[in-house]
Amino acid sequence: MPLWWPLLVASLLFAIGVYGVLSRRNAVLVLMGVELMLNAVNINFVAFDAQLHDVLHAGQTFALFTIVIAAAEVGLALAIVLLVFRTHGHIEVDELRELADRDDPAELSAPQAASEGVA
Amino acid sequence: MSWVLLAALVVPFVTAAVTLFTGHRSDVAAKGISVGGSALGLLLAWVVALAHLGDAPPLAHVFTSTRTVGPPIELAVYVGPLGAAMLILATTVAFLVQVYSLGYLADDPRYPSYAALVSIFTGAMSVVVSADDLWLLLVGWELMGACSYFLIAHHWELEDARAGAVKAFLITRTADLGLLFAIFVLGDRFGTYRLSTILRVITEVAVPRDGLWLPALLLAVAVIGKSAQVPFHTWLPDAMPGPTPISALIHAATMVAAGVFLVARTYPLFLSSPSTLTFLALVAAVTMFLAAVYAMVTHDLKRVLAWSTVSQLAYMFGGLAAGAWSAAVLHLLAHGAFKALLFLAAGSVVHAIGGATSMDVMGGLRDKVPDTFVTMTIGFAALAGVVPLVGFFSKDAIMHAAWEEALHGRLVWPWVAWLLVVSMVATAALTVAYSLRAWLLVFFGEGPEVVHDSPATMRVPLVVLAVPTALGGLAVTVPGIIGGAPGEHLVHWSTSVLMTLLVVATAALVLVLYRRRGRAMWGPVVVPHPPIDWVWDRFLVRPVRWLAVLVRAGDRDVIDAYADGAAASARGIGGLLRRTQTGSVQGYLMVVVVGATAIAVAAGLLA
Repeated sequence: MPLWWPLLVASLLFAIGVYGVLSRRNAVLVLMGVELMLNAVNINFVAFDAQLHDVLHAGQTFALFTIVIAAAEVGLALAIVLLVFRTHGHIEVDELRELADRDDPAELSAPQAASEGVA
Repeated sequence: MSWVLLAALVVPFVTAAVTLFTGHRSDVAAKGISVGGSALGLLLAWVVALAHLGDAPPLAHVFTSTRTVGPPIELAVYVGPLGAAMLILATTVAFLVQVYSLGYLADDPRYPSYAALVSIFTGAMSVVVSADDLWLLLVGWELMGACSYFLIAHHWELEDARAGAVKAFLITRTADLGLLFAIFVLGDRFGTYRLSTILRVITEVAVPRDGLWLPALLLAVAVIGKSAQVPFHTWLPDAMPGPTPISALIHAATMVAAGVFLVARTYPLFLSSPSTLTFLALVAAVTMFLAAVYAMVTHDLKRVLAWSTVSQLAYMFGGLAAGAWSAAVLHLLAHGAFKALLFLAAGSVVHAIGGATSMDVMGGLRDKVPDTFVTMTIGFAALAGVVPLVGFFSKDAIMHAAWEEALHGRLVWPWVAWLLVVSMVATAALTVAYSLRAWLLVFFGEGPEVVHDSPATMRVPLVVLAVPTALGGLAVTVPGIIGGAPGEHLVHWSTSVLMTLLVVATAALVLVLYRRRGRAMWGPVVVPHPPIDWVWDRFLVRPVRWLAVLVRAGDRDVIDAYADGAAASARGIGGLLRRTQTGSVQGYLMVVVVGATAIAVAAGLLA
């Protein structure tokens, strides 16, 4: 199997992941995008491991590391998403702009208060 | 002895501080402290002064001095005969004013601050008369200006009082610039600020004629302002809304006397500059006549006395300009006594009829307030120059000196000297006329019911002041007491007889007019007032305001504009950067991804 097949799949997967992270509004879908990108990296690891006939199989080992880290990351991230949902009543990423630099501090709290009212 | 003097200078200020701090808690304490402190200051001043009258060596002492580059500024005192006499006059009148105020301001809620300011005033005048360092003198000088401002505005709920206080302060303050610059010039020229050293150098080294005209002229401007001479004369009559004892203090012993004192103290400087003396003589000649004319026609008792003060001060300046140092100083002391008496008596009259100062509502008071009548009669007679009283001797001495100067003097220009003599004679007649008029209007004819006769605290100072007014003339027999030249004769029979004839003739004329026309002796004459205030307003006040507006505009529209512009431009540029801080995490990430991709592509292309 030529090397470029898994690399193509990994590139497509990474691109889909980036697209998901950048364009999805739902935080869970953004996290899924992140997962896709991580798994694209995993494919690369495994593909090069097989191609280079690594005796220690370092590529496969790193893939395992990545999976563990991804699991931990998604656990933490979902906890954050849960808290965001509890405080804001939604998980729309583009609505979460409290850190924007604005002139009037009142503008910051106003949307939050409104959304709490909704919740 | 020098420490006694220092104590005499410090006591009034300490008294003022204690009065202010404790006065509002206890009325009795305030009165006790202020009168007691005044008495203590009086005692100390007398102890110092009596030892240095006459031929005694003057007290000169330097307590401390600055060690800096340039001439040192010293805490130096000098009490000669003149200073001693002034010290006695100032502290005595101040003490009597304090005693008098016990009765006059018995129910005044602002008594503590009033008494404290009187104390400070006295202390400032003592500093002026005993200072040897010019800066020390300036401190006392300015302190008096500030105190007079506060005291004139004692009734600050009255529009008149506030306006009069501001006017007095601004006019004297403007003229005081002369003293400040005179100090600069003298310090620069002589390398010291010690007055006694400067005067000794002037006396010993032959200064070229008019070589020192600039400092002399600057000093003359300062004293003209302080002593309310033309063209700075308008503040004194407008200062009348102040309490009457304050008028006595300002007019007799302190504020306006300080001007004459300064000329007498720095007399060698003026003698070296005859052109300044000519200027002074001209000012005096115009002032004395003008002020006497106003005193003739005004209906307010206190304003009559105020204008007469201006007129009498002009006499002193005239005497000084004519070279009659002893006569002028004697007149200063005599005037201090009888004008204090007159003002305090006027206060007693005003108090008796319930507060009005217009002579239109007075009259017939001679047997209702008998003590005031007797003492005020003595005071008016001394002012008019009636024979055995003190004003007669001192005024005649001045007049004789002016006459001598006009005949064969070499100090002032001849025509100015003649103008001075004519003005003095005319003013003497006018003085008799307005004194007699005020006396008749207040004490004779029909008048109001007396509300209450003055308490003893007000009558005793009158009697005390009447003594030197009546007997002070004896001093002319020994001019040496105040440090005049030995062998100088101040009594001249020819002038005395002529002046007495003038007094009698004028008095007779006024009495005839009174008999014939009653209280309106010369009707409501309107004397055109020279537009002095208008000139000041147009050429000093308004330009200063314009400059102030200009400066404000420059500050706000130019300097502030740069500062504000710098801030605004930084803010504007920052605002552009802030646009990127949208708070959208995906936006940030997009930038990161695009940037990373661009760098990767660039790296690939370049590699």
